[in-house]
Amino acid sequence: MFSKPVPADSLYLAWAAAVFPLAAFGIIMIFLRRLPKAAAGVSLSAIAVSLVCAVCLLARHWHLEMPLESTVQWMASSDFEIPVGVLIDGLSLLMLVIVSGIAFLVQLYSIGYMAGDPGYARYFGFMSLFAWAMTSLVLAPNILQLFIFWELVGLSSYLLIGFWYEKLSASQAGKKAFVMTRAGDTLFFCGWLILLVWGGTVSILDLNHSAHSLSQAMVTASALLVFGGIAGKSAQFPLMTWLPDAMEGPAPVSALLHSATMVAAGVFLLGRLFPFFSQSDAAMTVCLFIGFVSMLLSATMAMVSRDIKQVWAYSTVSQLGFMIMALGAGGYAAGIFHLTTHAGFKALLFLCAGMLIHACETNDMFEIGQAGGRRMKLTVLCMTIGALALSGIWPFSGFFSKEEIMAALAAANSPVWYIGGLAGVFLTAYYSFRLIFVILLPGSTKAHGPGSQSGPEHARAVMHAVLVILAVITLVMGFFAESLQNLLTGQGVNAPGVHGPFPAKVVSPVLAIAGIVVAWLEFGRKDSARIGFAGRISPVARLFGQRWYLDHAYGWLVGRILDRGIAEGCQQNENRVIEKILHTVAGSVTACGRAAAGWHRAMIQSKLMVVFAVVFGLTLILLAA
Amino acid sequence: MIVPYTHVMLLGGVLFLLGMICTLTRRNLIMIILGLEIMLNAAAITFVGAGLHLQQIEGQAIALFILAVAAAEVSVGLALVVCIYRQTGTVDPQCIEGNKCQLKPDQTG
Repeated sequence: MFSKPVPADSLYLAWAAAVFPLAAFGIIMIFLRRLPKAAAGVSLSAIAVSLVCAVCLLARHWHLEMPLESTVQWMASSDFEIPVGVLIDGLSLLMLVIVSGIAFLVQLYSIGYMAGDPGYARYFGFMSLFAWAMTSLVLAPNILQLFIFWELVGLSSYLLIGFWYEKLSASQAGKKAFVMTRAGDTLFFCGWLILLVWGGTVSILDLNHSAHSLSQAMVTASALLVFGGIAGKSAQFPLMTWLPDAMEGPAPVSALLHSATMVAAGVFLLGRLFPFFSQSDAAMTVCLFIGFVSMLLSATMAMVSRDIKQVWAYSTVSQLGFMIMALGAGGYAAGIFHLTTHAGFKALLFLCAGMLIHACETNDMFEIGQAGGRRMKLTVLCMTIGALALSGIWPFSGFFSKEEIMAALAAANSPVWYIGGLAGVFLTAYYSFRLIFVILLPGSTKAHGPGSQSGPEHARAVMHAVLVILAVITLVMGFFAESLQNLLTGQGVNAPGVHGPFPAKVVSPVLAIAGIVVAWLEFGRKDSARIGFAGRISPVARLFGQRWYLDHAYGWLVGRILDRGIAEGCQQNENRVIEKILHTVAGSVTACGRAAAGWHRAMIQSKLMVVFAVVFGLTLILLAA
Repeated sequence: MIVPYTHVMLLGGVLFLLGMICTLTRRNLIMIILGLEIMLNAAAITFVGAGLHLQQIEGQAIALFILAVAAAEVSVGLALVVCIYRQTGTVDPQCIEGNKCQLKPDQTG
């Protein structure tokens, strides 16, 4: 076997980490709908218990040699059985801490941010559901269990994105997120069916140790199908357009969605099945390619967007592309480490954006700048820290993880990936600091500062405290790179610590600084035009602003193929074939009835004729018999 | 038995068929009753022939019953026809039933 059983107390801790948020969800939804304060308290304490359990588990198993797995049989069919249980290894421990930690901080922040919302209790209920789904997902020891919680994560993000469902755009965005991720999940479903039917196992450890009976082609096929699910969840090309629209939810939801839960689930799954994926070179190349395309596409989209949350959303897609590229290039620890650091600073960036939007009541970064967003000193400072980390500047956490990724890319088979990665680094720094400079150094400001900072004083203090905690995490996380990698690779995952050649360590920070300088020249200088270099060429700006026409392509595809092709065809079939057949059948039955009725209605001689005919017929039958 | 059994049966059958056709096709109540009488007589001939063939007296007895029934039936039937004619002015069953047709002289055959 590839694992040892989980000690009993760790098992209880793991279950507690997962089950408390579920209990909170149930209690809130059943009893506390009308008691918002109590709902927030229940939800927060549940996630706090989760966090404590997760930290205890991490501390206990810091030097884990071998994965721990405990399962009980859930159901058995003829020749396969479905177990449920927990799998504890470096990856799940790390993810558990990230998920519960970020969820806790985001919920803390939400107390202030959502204050006064009519759906306050519902909000915390959904947050708990989200936390439960995600913590259970990271603990799942087999793909079936993982898939169940994968879908629950999709459901709860749908509920939260469409939280303000009275707003049409919000409910549309929720629907879009749900449907697009569902497209990927269908592929994922087919993928694990292949594993179950032909591979004979869905246990993650078995798959990772090649203890399955799949041919090489089947491994590639199932890996690619599973990757389809990953692309949907992590908003990779071509299923990336749902994520920018998911901004319609409240800002803390975006923070949670973009850092630790929804989109992280995709990368987590890729990391979870990393050894399985590395059994197929083709699948790894597809990962690299998809990550590469999404990373560059969304970075260019972020260059021209004016919506502050949308810029961070595009940057999430871009950073997820980085992670997937890193994993595709074989840098397991690099990809997961970037997921970890990204969770911290992206949550920070979104929560800061939430503060600004709350205060200035607009999403447009130019308007925020003019409204004097920079007067919220702490928020802007934290946002700058987050942006520095996002750009990969020493000593912020992003620097360390990006360096790892660039090293992995430099070691990959083709220089294209490395060069693309460098371009991504440059663009990332450019668009992050475009936003920072627009807010920090606006050309002109109005006389008075941002509107009244809503919410009571203590709530705002809590929100600020959350920002500071995240900023500190962003600052210090990078220095734990070594130990986290030991945790991740300590159990024989075949990813030797890749360390690139010396120039790689210099080139990417230099490019990041160059990106910041370009952003300063175009947006920060006193007499700058405040138009980016992409914005000067109008077709390019339009291309980027319209998201490379991806939404149009989907619209066209849906309009042409679904609406006019399949739906129309079905309607024609309904009208012309099915209805016609039904009409014919019904008509002939009616006609037969009419004809039969005619014999009874006609004059007496016809009736008599029928009697005679029947008698003759009966006689013939009796004689024949 | 001078006449062969099959001939008697054939005569009965043909008579019955003729009576039937008469009943079904004529549009005059009197002719319809006539057709019924012919069918009854055909049945009586068949009974007599069968009784002779099987050497049993019951065949002829039933023929007598049939004559009696036929006499009763025709008297009641004719009385009804007279009543109907007095009430409706026609003996065409279609016209009595539906009140739809104008009486035409050439149709009352």
